[in-house]
Amino acid sequence: MKRTNFLLGSLSGLTLVANTDHVFARALAQTPRPGLPGAQDRTLVLINLYGGNDGLNCVVPHGDSRYYQARPTIAIAQSDVLAIDAQSGLHPSMRSFKSMYDAGSVAIVQGVGYPNPDHSHFRSTEIWQTAAPQRYEHTGWLGRYLDDANLPASNLFNGVALAQVLPEVLVSYRTDVPSIANLGQYGLRIDSNRGTAAAFSSVVRDRSLPFRSPYLGHVMEIEDHAQRGSQELPRLIGGYKTSASYPATPLGRSLALAAQIVGSNLGTRVIYVQHGSFDTHVGQIGVQARLLREFSDAIAAFYADLAAHGNDRRVLTMTFSEFGRRIAENANHGTDHGEASPLFLIGGGVKGGLYGSAPDLSEANMGNVRFSVDFRSVYATVLERWLGTSSRGVLGGSFSTIPVLA
Amino acid sequence: MASPMQIDVAGMLRPAGALDPDPLAPYRGALDERSAAHLLRRAGFGGTPDDVRRYAAMSVGDAVESLVRFPSETVAPPDVYDPTPVLAQYGPAGLRALSRHDRFEVLHTTQIESEKSVRAITLWWLDRMIAGPAPLQERMTLAYHGHFTTAAIGKYVSAKNVFDQNQLFRSYALGNLRELTRAVSKDPAMLLYLDNGVNTAAHPNENYARELMELFTLGVDHYTEDDVRESARAWTGWRYDRFSGEVRFVPRFHDDGVKTFLGRTGNLDGDDVVDTIFAQPQCARFFAAWLLNAFVYNDPESALVDGVAAMLRKHDYELAPVVSAILRSNVFYSPRAYRALVKSPVEFVVGAYRTLGLPEAEPRTVLALRTMGQWLFYPPNVAGWAGGGNWLTSDTMIARQNFLSGIVNSRNVERSAWLGSLPMQPQSASRALASGILQDDASPATLAQIGAFLEGAGSSALGALSPENFAERASGAAYLALASPAFQLS
Repeated sequence: MKRTNFLLGSLSGLTLVANTDHVFARALAQTPRPGLPGAQDRTLVLINLYGGNDGLNCVVPHGDSRYYQARPTIAIAQSDVLAIDAQSGLHPSMRSFKSMYDAGSVAIVQGVGYPNPDHSHFRSTEIWQTAAPQRYEHTGWLGRYLDDANLPASNLFNGVALAQVLPEVLVSYRTDVPSIANLGQYGLRIDSNRGTAAAFSSVVRDRSLPFRSPYLGHVMEIEDHAQRGSQELPRLIGGYKTSASYPATPLGRSLALAAQIVGSNLGTRVIYVQHGSFDTHVGQIGVQARLLREFSDAIAAFYADLAAHGNDRRVLTMTFSEFGRRIAENANHGTDHGEASPLFLIGGGVKGGLYGSAPDLSEANMGNVRFSVDFRSVYATVLERWLGTSSRGVLGGSFSTIPVLA
Repeated sequence: MASPMQIDVAGMLRPAGALDPDPLAPYRGALDERSAAHLLRRAGFGGTPDDVRRYAAMSVGDAVESLVRFPSETVAPPDVYDPTPVLAQYGPAGLRALSRHDRFEVLHTTQIESEKSVRAITLWWLDRMIAGPAPLQERMTLAYHGHFTTAAIGKYVSAKNVFDQNQLFRSYALGNLRELTRAVSKDPAMLLYLDNGVNTAAHPNENYARELMELFTLGVDHYTEDDVRESARAWTGWRYDRFSGEVRFVPRFHDDGVKTFLGRTGNLDGDDVVDTIFAQPQCARFFAAWLLNAFVYNDPESALVDGVAAMLRKHDYELAPVVSAILRSNVFYSPRAYRALVKSPVEFVVGAYRTLGLPEAEPRTVLALRTMGQWLFYPPNVAGWAGGGNWLTSDTMIARQNFLSGIVNSRNVERSAWLGSLPMQPQSASRALASGILQDDASPATLAQIGAFLEGAGSSALGALSPENFAERASGAAYLALASPAFQLS
């Protein structure tokens, strides 16, 4: 029953990575492999499937009868599953995504989670974003990456969050990451006060102030970013012509903007996008089908757009969700907060296929899918093998990597 | 040595230069408009030019005395949603007996009502900060909210719970820190948020016991895992019943055995744990650093921390005499402390209202604060807001500047008496704005810019200044002053 596509270094993922691995990652970053650009031209797009995506109805264990016993009303019928093999398959509304899987550009890592799982949305989201399950950490793992990566400080767009509020994953100490809900709202509304714009620009740049403050340099720098960034971005990306028809959904709009940013060569290494809410306690079937269809169609359009501009090999997309959901459905045709779930790695450098162990649905697990891959192993893989940097400092420890990227 | 306070020092900057001698001795100088405005910003949220002039005419002692003596309570409480009557209708058994769908409906409705109510409470609180009789009391209430954090999110923390906790903080604003810590430990919102209300002898829950030491009173490395476990045992037995709204101590849930906590052995209870913590020299240092970070500057020197810690011990953790001494001290009025703190979003927003003399916040302020990174009653996690340089990113800066633009373009700005009576003369009006809003912390070039804007010089779009366009022009000029770098700093 239990099937393992490959052996992970250890169950917890907390194993030492030999130093040569790091050297290899650096070398990889500097010498492009055929078809793959060097690390400095690569972008990671992180999609937060917020609310807790039900992994079992997303990557369906249709070969396991216990799945059907646990979910009498909401299981995906075997005949509807987009089968990957005799055991696993994708949700029926993920047709376009399944085509990408069949083409070898999607890796599915099963059973991803962390020890002593927290069932609170807020705390578990924070754990995934800070990569710090055992302490309260202010910075996010990608924020720490941006701080450590020696990226040009003059670039205002090393990281970009396509969200209303900066997500914790991109909180950093030294890198100012703009968060942009939509281009129209990203900017200073100085013009609503007709005539103040010119004076505003010089007033906020007043450098001959008659006092000293340890924060003055920071204030001036951020003022400059706020003004320059919001003025420059529309101009910098204005020349890009979208080459796909995106679904008219928030995720479709976000990914269209992400493709535009990548295609405009701003040097952006990390883009954050969110999609949800997957918190399906009640009447799960319709909600999750819609969300997964939106996801699938937007991702397909995104990679079609990227490919049309020759950028598909430059962009690795990774999903995460704060937790999966319980094995058994609840009395309300939904599912409650659970533990481990699968995540997807899509596009550039991915060696397509199924990774990790299929979920163990036995009673011993008290109704939850236990994790078999530590989420920090996936992060370490992305950091080392995609972004071309050491993961040890960013993750506060060494985690084995997964051979999921070329 | 490491910072004595368990905060991330990254993003927290100490002013350049060395600590002056006798930093905590009383300042002998006289107040002027700059130092009076500094005091009003730190001990409150700033004030109008008239407030500043009034304080500048006082002695330091009288000025501080007028801030630390709070008038008796006169502000009516807001309407607060309390889910208890709804829950009491069902009782625990009745709620369990409902179908899953109906139970979800009941709980979801109470949650939605609570969220609406929290927005109203937020506006009520902002109005107290803006126009209430005791700005320092609100300043301390805000500081406690960021320290003894509780979020109105999940775990059935209701609007009533967070409002009661807010009032608890207010009642201890300059009270005794040990008593406050005892009280907040048994406060419903805290019992829910950090699980001390489900901590029993049979199933101890260490969440509160750990955060009490790590985040609230000592900092990491000043206790052991054994201390956490023993403290959790001592805290067993406290319950919050959300069906009756009562906090009770239930003896049969309490672990009556002997515990050893921070070197003290006995049948300890929760109050004994708090008393034992407050007897640690580190606790006084921890709160000394907390006060200095709030009132003086970030990452204070060890010597300064030790000095304030000694005051805290001497006054048995009574805050009124200690905060008074800090607000009267040499270091408080030193150039190193001047504009040395980044305003939190609440200080920025309330500061703008108070400086202009506007009587109340607009409802959209609640969302504006959220985009600036400080969503009141929803701190990001139990460690509270990170503060210091972490407040400022390009989006939070855009949110700050767009808030200012919104305020000067609203009808509300017409209620500013002093803006309305500015002289219709570009030079004197710009001087009055730079002094009233920035205490002249702007360059001559900025002053000239504001003057030129008022005059309409060099801009065909603006046109010459006239009685018809003066009010609009003056609010635009006030916006320019508010937008300048000094106004981001306290």
